[in-house]
Order: sequence, then C-alpha cells, then structure tokens
Amino acid sequence: MSDNLSELSGRKGVVDNLFEKMTKAAEATGTPAKEDLDALAEEFLIGKANTYGTATFYDFMKPENKGKEVYICNGSACLCAGTQDSLKSEIEKHVSADKIGHMTCLGRCHENGAFHVNGANYSARSGEEIASILNKTGKARKDRYNVLAAGPDCLTANYPGFDEYYALLDQVLKTDPMDVLTEIKVSNLRGRGGAGFPMGLKLESCRNTESDTRFIICNADEGDPGAYSDRYLLEERPQAVLLGMMIAGYAASANWGVVYIRAEYPEAVSIIEDAVRELRSKNLLGDNILDSGFKFDFKVIKAAGAYICGEETALINSIEGQRPEVRIRPPYPTQKGLFNKPTAVNNVETLAAVPWILKNGGAAYRAIGTERSSGTKLICLDSFFKRPGIYEVEMGTPLRSLIDELGGGFAKPVKAMQIGGPLGGIVPVEKIDSLNIDFESFGQGGFLLGHASVVCIPESFPMVKYLEHLFEFAAFESCGKCFPCRLGTKRGQEMLTKAIKENYKIDRELFHDLLDTLQEGSLCAHGGGIPLPVRNALQYFEEELSPFFLQED
Amino acid sequence: MTTEPNISTKYAYLNGQAFEIEEGETVLNFLRRHDPSRKVPTLCDSPNLDPFGSCRVCSVEVALEEGGKRKTMASCHTPVTEGMILYPHSKSIRKLRKNILELVITDHPLDCLTCEVNGNCELQTVAGEVGITDIRYPEGENHLDKEKDLSHPYMVSDLSKCINCYRCVRACDEVQGQLVLSMAGRGFDSHIVKGADTSFFDSDCVSCGSCAQACPTAAITDVFQSKSSVNAEKTRTVCTYCGVGCNLEVTATEDDILNIRAPWDAEVNSGHTCLKGRYAFQFYDHPERLRTPLIKKDGELVEATWDEAYDLIVSKFQDYKKNDGPDFLAGISSSRCTNEENYLMQKFMRAVVGTNNIDGCARVCHSPTALGMQRTFGTGAATNSIEDLKYTDCIMVIGANPTEGHPVTGAKFKQHAMKGKTTIVIDPRKTEIAKYAQYHLPLRPGTNVAMLNMMMYYIIDEGLVDESFVNNRTEGFAEFLEGIKKLDVDEMARITGVDKELVRQASIAYASANNAMSFHGLGVTEHSQGTFTVMQIANLAMITGNIGRRGVGVNPLRGQNNVQGSADMGVQPHQGAGYLDITKPEVNQKYNTFYGVEVPSHIGYKIPEMFDAALDGKLRAIWIIGEDVVQTDPNTQKVIRALEATDFVVVQELFMTETAKYADVVLPGASFLEKSGTFTNGERRVQRVNQVVPPVGESKADGQIIVDVMNRMGYAQPDYTPDGMLEEISQIVPFFAGIKWDELGENGKQWPVAKDGTDTQILHLDQFKRGLGYFEFHDFAETSEILEHGKEYPYILTTNRKLEHYNCGAMTRRTGNVEILTEDVLVINPQDASGNGIKHGDMVCVESPRGKVDIRAAVSEDVKPGVLSTTFHFPEIMVNNLTSDVHDTEAMCPEYKVVSVRIRKSKGKYAK
Ligand SMILES: Cc1cc2nc3c(=O)[nH]c(=O)nc-3n(C[C@H](O)[C@H](O)[C@H](O)COP(=O)(O)O)c2cc1C
Ligand code: SF4
Ligand code: SF4
Ligand code: SF4
Ligand code: SF4
Ligand code: FES
Repeated sequence: MSDNLSELSGRKGVVDNLFEKMTKAAEATGTPAKEDLDALAEEFLIGKANTYGTATFYDFMKPENKGKEVYICNGSACLCAGTQDSLKSEIEKHVSADKIGHMTCLGRCHENGAFHVNGANYSARSGEEIASILNKTGKARKDRYNVLAAGPDCLTANYPGFDEYYALLDQVLKTDPMDVLTEIKVSNLRGRGGAGFPMGLKLESCRNTESDTRFIICNADEGDPGAYSDRYLLEERPQAVLLGMMIAGYAASANWGVVYIRAEYPEAVSIIEDAVRELRSKNLLGDNILDSGFKFDFKVIKAAGAYICGEETALINSIEGQRPEVRIRPPYPTQKGLFNKPTAVNNVETLAAVPWILKNGGAAYRAIGTERSSGTKLICLDSFFKRPGIYEVEMGTPLRSLIDELGGGFAKPVKAMQIGGPLGGIVPVEKIDSLNIDFESFGQGGFLLGHASVVCIPESFPMVKYLEHLFEFAAFESCGKCFPCRLGTKRGQEMLTKAIKENYKIDRELFHDLLDTLQEGSLCAHGGGIPLPVRNALQYFEEELSPFFLQED
Repeated sequence: MTTEPNISTKYAYLNGQAFEIEEGETVLNFLRRHDPSRKVPTLCDSPNLDPFGSCRVCSVEVALEEGGKRKTMASCHTPVTEGMILYPHSKSIRKLRKNILELVITDHPLDCLTCEVNGNCELQTVAGEVGITDIRYPEGENHLDKEKDLSHPYMVSDLSKCINCYRCVRACDEVQGQLVLSMAGRGFDSHIVKGADTSFFDSDCVSCGSCAQACPTAAITDVFQSKSSVNAEKTRTVCTYCGVGCNLEVTATEDDILNIRAPWDAEVNSGHTCLKGRYAFQFYDHPERLRTPLIKKDGELVEATWDEAYDLIVSKFQDYKKNDGPDFLAGISSSRCTNEENYLMQKFMRAVVGTNNIDGCARVCHSPTALGMQRTFGTGAATNSIEDLKYTDCIMVIGANPTEGHPVTGAKFKQHAMKGKTTIVIDPRKTEIAKYAQYHLPLRPGTNVAMLNMMMYYIIDEGLVDESFVNNRTEGFAEFLEGIKKLDVDEMARITGVDKELVRQASIAYASANNAMSFHGLGVTEHSQGTFTVMQIANLAMITGNIGRRGVGVNPLRGQNNVQGSADMGVQPHQGAGYLDITKPEVNQKYNTFYGVEVPSHIGYKIPEMFDAALDGKLRAIWIIGEDVVQTDPNTQKVIRALEATDFVVVQELFMTETAKYADVVLPGASFLEKSGTFTNGERRVQRVNQVVPPVGESKADGQIIVDVMNRMGYAQPDYTPDGMLEEISQIVPFFAGIKWDELGENGKQWPVAKDGTDTQILHLDQFKRGLGYFEFHDFAETSEILEHGKEYPYILTTNRKLEHYNCGAMTRRTGNVEILTEDVLVINPQDASGNGIKHGDMVCVESPRGKVDIRAAVSEDVKPGVLSTTFHFPEIMVNNLTSDVHDTEAMCPEYKVVSVRIRKSKGKYAK
C-alpha cells in the first residue's frame, strides 16, 4: 500500500492500466521479460523494484511460471473427488512434467478432473477425452450443471433479451440517484462476497466522500474452491452484473466500473468483454447515457492468479499494479480506494441482485428471506451430490432441504462439508439439521456462510490430510504482509506434514497458540479465518485427529 | 477567519480512568501519551512512516462498553474513538505478542553476539520485553542462507536478518521517494529486493540511508555500522554541505568519528539526510588534509609554524595598508564557515584593515536573491519555512534541481509532486521533479524574465490578480501593469521556446491555488538578469497575494550550508553585519562606535571586481577562506591571472585546492566536525554546530585564526567561542537580538529573533519589511554572451550540480561518494549527439570563446536540442575554463548558466 504508487499508477487510470500491461507482457512466455518490467517502471515513473515485486507475486506472472502449458486444478473439491492424480498422469503422457503447473479451482467443482490449457478450461476423466483436448482433435464438451431456483428467481430468472432487460436502465436514470440509493438501502441487500456488509451503506459512504472520480469494482475473483456461482452469473447472466454496476455507479455517483475477473475463468472474461461491447454498440456507455447526463464506462481486468486478490484492498492494489497486499482499514475503500479515490467493491452476486431490486422495489426484496438476511442466495453443490449445480434459495432455507431436496442427497458417503470456502466452517453431517442458510444461523452454529460454496469431504478422506491441505492453501495464498499469517500458516502446514509423514506428534498447546495467534493477530480474514475450519475439525473429529497430537498426561 | 466551534472533548479509558483524545490519533499514540511507562511494543511502526500494520505486536484489546466483549486490534493503525476501553497489556495480549515473536524467531538467525546491532536491535528489545524463552516449533523452512550484499560503498544488507516489516520499503517510498526497494514473491517466500533483484550498487539507490535508519535489525545497514551501540557518545550538529541544514547525530570516540545518523526529532529533517550529510564525512581526517601552515619559499609551499605564518601575514598586511592603503587589500569569506567566523572576517576587513573589500561565495550564487528580494520586500531571505510544504496547494520550482542540490528538501518536493499536488517546474532540463510535475516549462537558458513576464501577462489577462492584496500592500502596480500589457506574448513564447498555452495553464494553476509557494535556485540568479528574475518571482507572489501566511511566499533554496548566514553577518562590500547600508552616515557612526575604530563608508569590491582590480595592479593582498575560486569561479584562466597579479595571497583551507596552489601562505582551517558555532539554513534557521572531535594536526577553527591575526594587528578581540561571539553579534545585528547560544536548543531559531527569544517562521505577515511591496517592471534582455558569441558558438552550455558532490568536490571527492559518481559529464540531447557523430561515453571537445575542455558525453533526453549541461566538481576537467565573465547587471553574480559553446567529438587531447 503506497499512496505514491496509487497516485502514479492512477495518472494513466484504468484505461492505460499498469497491471493489464504487465499481464499482457507475461502472455508470451508466462512471465514478463525484465526489459518489459523495467520499461513499464520507467513509463509509470515508479521503481524497477515495484514492477518486479508485483510480477513475482502472481502465479501466472512469476518467473517460475515460464513455459507452463497445462495447469491442473488443485482446489479442495477436485482434491476430495480424487480425480487429479490420474488426470496428471494422463496429461504427462502428452506434456512434460515441467510444463505442467497448478491452478486453484477452475469452477468445475461439479465435475472435477479440471484443467486449463490453451486459454480454456476443461474437465475430463477418460484418457481419450484428455488426449483429444490436448491434441485439439474432436470437440471439447462444455461443462453442464443444474441451475434451479427453489423459490423467487432474483438471480437465475431467464434473460428476456437485451432491449427488454435494459429498459430498466432508462427508468433508473430518470429517477433521482438518491432515490435509487434509498431503494438499495431498503432492500437490505448484504454483500455476498463473504462479509455480508449492507451494500446501500457502502454506496452511500462512497458517494459522500468528496472526489472528482469514484469507482465501482465488481469483485469477480471468486477464489473459494468449491464456488462457481459467480462464474455462472458472469457467463450466463453477464448483463445482470453489468447493469447492477451501472445502477450502483449511478447511486454512488461513480463514473467507472471495473470488473476484475480471475484468470482461472477465461470464458467469463471474454463473455463479459462481449457484453461490454454490446453495451457500447447500443450507445449505453460514455458521457451522457440516454441523455440523462450520467457518465459511465467499463474496464475489464483479467487477474493473474492469486487468491488474496479476492480481498477487496488487495484487489485494489492489484488493479493499480502494486503488490496485492492487504491494506489497513481505515481508510476504507469507500474513503480512499482505487488510485486513492472513493471506491465501492462488491461481489458479483451482490451486484447481480441490484437490477431485480430496482425493478421490483427494495421492499419486495426485503420481503424475501429472513429479517436480517434478506433476498436469495446462490449455493454451489459439488460432485458428491446426486444433483450437483447451482441453487438459488431464499435466505433462511434449512440446509437439510437444500441437500436432500435440491441436491438429491449425497452420492457417496460423506462425513463433513466445508461450507463457505477455505475459510468457512467444516460442518459435520450430523449438524445439517441445525442450520439454515443465512448469515445468522451459520454464525450462531460456529460456522460461516461466506460465499456459500459446499465442498464435501468423503468418509474415505483423512481429516488430517484435509487440514494439511487447508494450511497448505493458506500458506501458499498468504499475501505475506502480516507476521502471524506469513509465518503461522507455514509453520502450521509444516507441523501437519511432519505429523503425517514422520513420527512427530503436534503439541496441542502450541497448536492452539498458533490458531489463537492467527485468529487474533492477522491483519485480514485470510490468516484470521483459517482457524475456524481447523477448530471445527478438532472439535468434531477429535477421535480421528488425536493420533497426530501429543497426548496430554 | 472564523475559529472552529469548540468541539466537546472526547475520552477513552485506560485503567479505569478517562483520558482525552486528540483528533485523529491512533490508539498507539493515545497510549504513548497517557501511559508512557508501560511501552506498547512495535516492530513495523517507525517515527516518520505511515502506519502499516504488518507486525501485529502492537495489538491491544478494546471493548466498547464496561465488561463488554473485547476485540484485538492493532493499536498503530486503529483510530482511538470515544468511549473505547483499552487493555493494552492483558493476559491474552501478552500471550499473543509472545507467540508472534516466537514465530518471527523461527526464521531469524540466533547469532546476536556477533551481530552489528547487538544491544541496539529492536527485535532483540521486543523479544526481551515479551519474554521469549524457547522456540517450540520444529525446524522448518527459513531464509537463513540469504547472502550479504557488500557491493556498495555505503549501503549493506544481510537479508537473512530481515523480519519483513517493510520499514525500508516504506522509507524509500515515503521519505526518499526513490522506490528502490520492494518485497518480491509472496507469503512465506516474500523477500526484500533492490530494483529488479539486483545489488545496492546496481540499483537506483541514492544512498540516503533512510532504509538503514528505518530497519529495526541489521538486515539493512551501512559500512559505518551506524546502528551499533558501541561507544554511543553522540553529538548533535548540523550538516556542512547544503542550505537545507539537516541535523546530524554523530557518534564518535575521543578522536574518531564512527558514524552519523539523523535525529528523529529534527524539525528540518526528521530522520532523513542525503548521502553527503550521513556518509560523506571521511574527508575530515583524510591524509591529504592540511595539517600545518605552509609558506611559499622559492616557488614551493613548505611547512611552517603558526608564528611564522602569522608574522608574515601581519607584516605584509600592515605594509600594504600603510604604503598602498587599506583598499589594496581584500578578503573572501566562506559560506561553509560559521556565522561567528563570517562575522569576524568582515569585522577584520572593516575594522582592522579598514576596507569594505569583503565578499563571499554568496556573490557567485544568491547575491541577486538578497538584492532582488530586498528591493521588492525589504528582506533578502526566504519569506516562509520548509514546513509550509504541508500547507501549500501548489509549488513552483524555478531554476533549481533540488533532488540533487538540496536533497532533503528535494525529497519533500518529490513527495508533493508524486502525490499529484500541483507542481510547476521552470527549468531548461527535465529534472527529477519535472518528471513528476504537471507543468514543466523547459525554457531556453537565460530567458527566465521573459517566462515570468509571460506568466504575469496571463494572470492579469485571466483576471486572477489579487486586487485587494495589490491595493493594500503594494506600490508601483500601475506602471508595472503598463509594462506587462505592452508585452508581445508570441514573441516571448518564441524567445523562451515554450508553448504559450502551456505557460497560460501553468499561470492559471499558480494563480488559482489557495496557497502557492515558489522556490528558486541558481538557475534564477546566475544570469545577467538574475536580480530582475528574483524581482519578477516576488512580483508574481504579490499579484496573486501569495505572501504573508502559511504555505506561500518566495523561498530561495540557498546553496551552501551557511550562505544565508554569511550575508547576514555582513560578508558583502555594500552592507555590514545585519544588512545595514555602510554608506549611510548614521550606520557608519553605529559601526564606528561598536567596533571602537573608524570604518570606511565607501562600497568595496565585489569578487569579480577584486579580480579586475588585481589585473589593474590595484590589489596587493587577498585573504581567501574556504573557497576554491580557481576551480569554481567562472573564466578560470582570468582568475589565475588575477591571483598571479596579486602580490600576496593567503588561502585558508582544508585541502590543497586549485586556488591554494597559487597562495603565498596556506593556513589549515578546521572542518565543521572540529569546531562549534552556528549555521543559518535557507529558512533563516540559526542552528548550533557542535564540535565532535579536536581539529586534525595543527589545524585551527577558522574563527580563531582570524582572532589571532586581529590581535597581532593590534585589535583586541577575545578568543573564538560561539557563545561569546553570538553575544557580540546580537548587539549589532538587529534580527539576532534575542539569539543566545544557550537558548538555541536542538532545532535552532528562525530569525528575526526578538529580544525575548521569540522567533519568526513567516516574514511580512501584515506588512512588508520595507512597508509596501514594490512592483518594478523589467523587460527581457538577451545576454551579451549570446548576442556576441551565439552565432559562432551555437550551443548553450549550462552548469549545475550532482547529488554526490559538493561544489569543487574538495570534500566529497575524498569520501566514498567518488566511487558512486566518478567524473563530470556533458549531458547532450540524442539529436545533437548524432548530428555531431557523438555516442554515449565518447569524449567531446567543448569550446567557448574563453577556452576548451574535453569531457565525456552522456546522451539523454533530459536536455532539449541545442542545450548542453554539465557540472564542475572535478578539477580534472576544469569546466570553468569555458564560463564567461558576464555577470548579473545588478549584483554581479556570474552567468554560469548560459555559456555559448561549440562541440565536436574529440580524442581527449585537451583534457587538463
Ligand atoms: C481472503 C479473502 C478472500 C476473499 N475473496 C473474495 C472473493 O473471491 N470474492 C468476493 O467477492 N469477495 C471476496 N472477499 C471479500 C472481499 O474482501 C469483500 O468483502 C467483498 O468483495 C465485498 O463485496 P460484497 O460486500 O458485495 O460481499 C474475500 C475476503 C478475504 C479476506
Ligand atoms: S492475514 Fe495473510 S493474507 Fe491477510 S494480510 Fe496477513 S499475510 Fe496477508
Ligand atoms: S539508501 Fe535511500 S534511496 Fe537507497 S534504498 Fe535506502 S532509502 Fe532507498
Ligand atoms: S530489511 Fe529491515 S526494514 Fe526492511 S523489511 Fe527487512 S527487517 Fe524490515
Ligand atoms: S547536504 Fe543538505 S540535504 Fe544533504 S544532509 Fe546535508 S544539509 Fe541535508
Ligand atoms: S506496530 Fe502495529 S502492526 Fe506493527
């Protein structure tokens, strides 16, 4: 976080964007050439250390990424599904091992066997399928998953076509922006990205910060393994996301919408780019949209592989071409965000709900769901369910009905589910009946709704291995800024690995001290969140885990 | 102005007691103020850096109501708010801190006993405070095998000791603005890099040392081990190099200087310096230091005793005084000496010799500033303070390259410009600040007056004149306006070579800023129209009402450390101590009474006139202190002839300079580290210089040498002591009335200082020193250098400074700085280079009507076609063979900035 770097990057703004130039420079070989980085430093009047420091942060820009051709998914869902070892040996028949890298969660959690090649994602199980994809023979199959709304379909309703859908914009732009803001506040729409902060307040705070420019950022960095609902919205309902951003921009008096999409979703990037193009061709972008005086434009940015970029301040740093490290708060992004300007960052799903709210009224939205968690929520079920897919449910829906009625129950024996991403709780199956799908119920139960992805942990999968995987993920994706997380996630991973591989028993007091340190000491919810699932596991799977710990005498 | 409504005081609670909150403060700050004895440990926090929040050891527990749920928060970046109940040292907090430290030590070497910072390490201290006893984690991955970086003459790193607190990265960014350092990699793999993972030497590091001072461990330090606590005897003093006046904290034994740091509480430079102040001190006991007096015998300078030297000087001076008259003697005093010494030198010339032939190196730098600002405002000094940068909306930098010449102030400008605050640079060269500024007006050297007139034309044209200021506080505006209105702006645009629309926009930016501050340097003064340019800058401030409050004003960047002080003390042929006009009978009477002898009342020679007099046979003796006129004054060959024509030349120096070679007597003076006194920086701040070590060899404080000669010439002057001298000065220099050695404190005082000791940050608050500000119009006039030689010598050479060296380089070339910058080079635009078949690194022969030199080409876009630029830090090149004796028409400051030359590729035969 450097005010100077934010300002210097901001001089060229989002249009002539430093980060984008860096990722472009990395395209040819997988890492930008030193000359390119130095030239960019010179162009932006920043240090050579800055462009180098940024490039080395990202999976798809760092020097080690040079020459990688195929990336295999190593996310939690593919791991639990157990598909990746055989996938890897199949791929190695065609591509040498040093050209194979990893991507964490391609959003194929409903099929698994996921990998990325030639700028596109695939999931395949048979050797022939893999061979045909790698050799570009035969047609690749598009993935398929169920999409169903159990109740109101605020997010999954059929798209009525551009003109009908965008009639709403004309109507909104004829309304006073303050009334639009009020509508969003009345809806009590809470952020779907994990923290559940009321969107209306965020827009209001952004609006109230004095500035010549403001930004709306769509956080499409859906990094939680197991989650692919944002991917669904980006690919299947792109105009809902974009219209939501325009309305948010109108309410917050912002003139720029930046869609930051993870590189692991290449299809989503091109679909959103097409959608922006469509808007432009319909004259709905630019200086004076529909003669309303409202000015708005979009920038689509493709990320470069770093889970922490989903954290909003890291995301802002990322767009600026700084190292995506987490910033301290305050100042909040709505006070000082992208290029030091007021910025509202919202999740894809949050933004996609906005058109419905403006169309049907804030009160109508508020009437859906529970008192404190209004509206609907998309839930992603992985391949352990009989009917994997995306389900739109009213907030407050019992977890049991989601699993049994919508998901059709488990296809294989499952002992627990991790719900809400890697920082979400580990819910043992016996707790299913005590939970409803809303922020409060999960919080009270000692879990976390988060982004509400569901990854099943089968009975056959050792819990200690799952914990090792969580710590490995946490350490690999830690931004490294704060001491507890940078060091603690690594030490946690090392202890678990040692306990699995060697005759080493973990000291319980030390392990709890480590969890406390991460939880209390970390700067952001990455380091601060990892103890939750670990503690859940220790509580509910004590018997299975105790052999790995020193016995107290 | 209305005052803020009295907002009711807010409170937070600590140990059951309420304490008041300062607006906007952090919990950490609150705790430091109200509970100083129970220290909250910190690792990533640093006095001059923004909060960052990486180490988390500053965490405290906070509840919002009595007995309410406690939350852990990092105190360094959490604002304290009304009603917070703080538990800074609760059981769980102490445990958290200990656990964090334990994690840190899992990746830190345990060789404290052999570590430079042992006993002075923040990690060690915090580990001690939280009570780490053992490391429970099994051995894991670590960074202990990182190699040391010993590539640089000053900066050193051993990143195996890095704790990833980012203090170095932030110091390089937030303080120096150089962006040399960054983290690279991510997570556990994060590590500090210089540049794109290179060494200190190969990076863009400017060796300011801020990172080393910020680093809490020995991970980044310097070759002087400035963070070791051994022999921790520390003396606070002031840098000898430039007019910024940085405070230094020197660690020394009884006879040896170990290292220098910057005090955090220094108002001028809180924790910051440039490489000259912090690292370039080794010259002080260099083997080449002059250690005894020398007398020329048979053309050779041979060692002599002080008595021999004094006897010779006294007999010669008395002889000339008696036989030729006092005006056949002249003195040049030094801006590098203390105020007290400068005062003594002018007193010696005036009261003991009986002549006003006293001048100083201010002549060749800021004499037009003193004169021009006196004419317009009544005082020839900066109207405001550097601290005002915090309050300004716009800075305009004219003819100055502060990141090289005034590095610590320059770094502050750079921060201003980098943050996108309005910045206007008027300079032929694309200086570092110009790169970051919104408006860079790259004018042809020598056309400042045309440019400033154009700006005023547009300000008037746009109706941006501050009428009420002009009406109430100035005179002469009507005539001035007429002059401006007659201007042909298209012609001015052609003369300056700058697009008039750009000039118009910059003018509007300056005039419409709430508070605009201007800063100028030698690119303003060292011209034939130097004084007029200064007056135009002052006029610009007046027509926009930018005078008399925080964040505005006209602020010369004084070159040498004490150039302000030497003029204040009367080192000028027309004004005595305190700028009193010596030609006025009442002033003459005042001096006569004060000095107890008759002093002359006719104006003496300025430096160039001294040389002319010598060549005319009108100068018998000259005493030059601390000024290498041969290397640094223009037209070297003429200066040499003048010295040769003077019968008796006394040079008082640290080293055998080019000038000293022409001396009949050489006297070994003392460096700033070896004597006490005061220096006055560019913002009129009189600060204490404190002796750190005794003078080397037989050298003496320059002030004592002057006192010795005074006494031997029959004038009773007590021995040199700073307190005694200041006592005398305070009685004759009005604005020093309240300055007492014992009351100057750590950060000095800004003159005028009233009798009761109150000092002054801003001048001309309600009225100008001269009453009304005085507008006077001057049109642009082409310098005779171009008129006479421009055709035959089509290129314009302009001279300037580099960060690493100081003036003639006598000091800096005898330090590690010479490994960083090894020679003077000629900066040339690629177009001119290729047009003359010159490649980067080729030797170029540069020829002016005065002479020629050979110099290496540095091809760069920093200068426009037709303009060349170079420095004169190295005697090997002697660039001043080229410069002319054209001077400012008013103050006689030489025109170093415009030299007509021609160039061709050479093979180097004219070197020397
Ligand atoms: C480690 C970490 C990862 C995150 N990843 C995402 C993400 O992938 N997508 C997202 O929308 N929010 C993510 N967030 C939450 C964002 O910081 C932020 O709260 C959110 O984008 C705000 O949008 P919302 O209010 O609409 O939920 C993450 C937070 C943390 C701490
Ligand atoms: S908790 Fe981890 S991810 Fe978050 S700021 Fe700290 S190091 Fe970065
Ligand atoms: S010495 Fe100064 S310029 Fe060099 S790296 Fe350190 S802070 Fe940056
Ligand atoms: S080198 Fe020093 S200042 Fe920089 S991060 Fe490491 S420990 Fe901190
Ligand atoms: S040379 Fe100037 S900027 Fe550098 S340390 Fe000395 S006074 Fe400060
Ligand atoms: S001092 Fe507060 S986090 Fe380091």
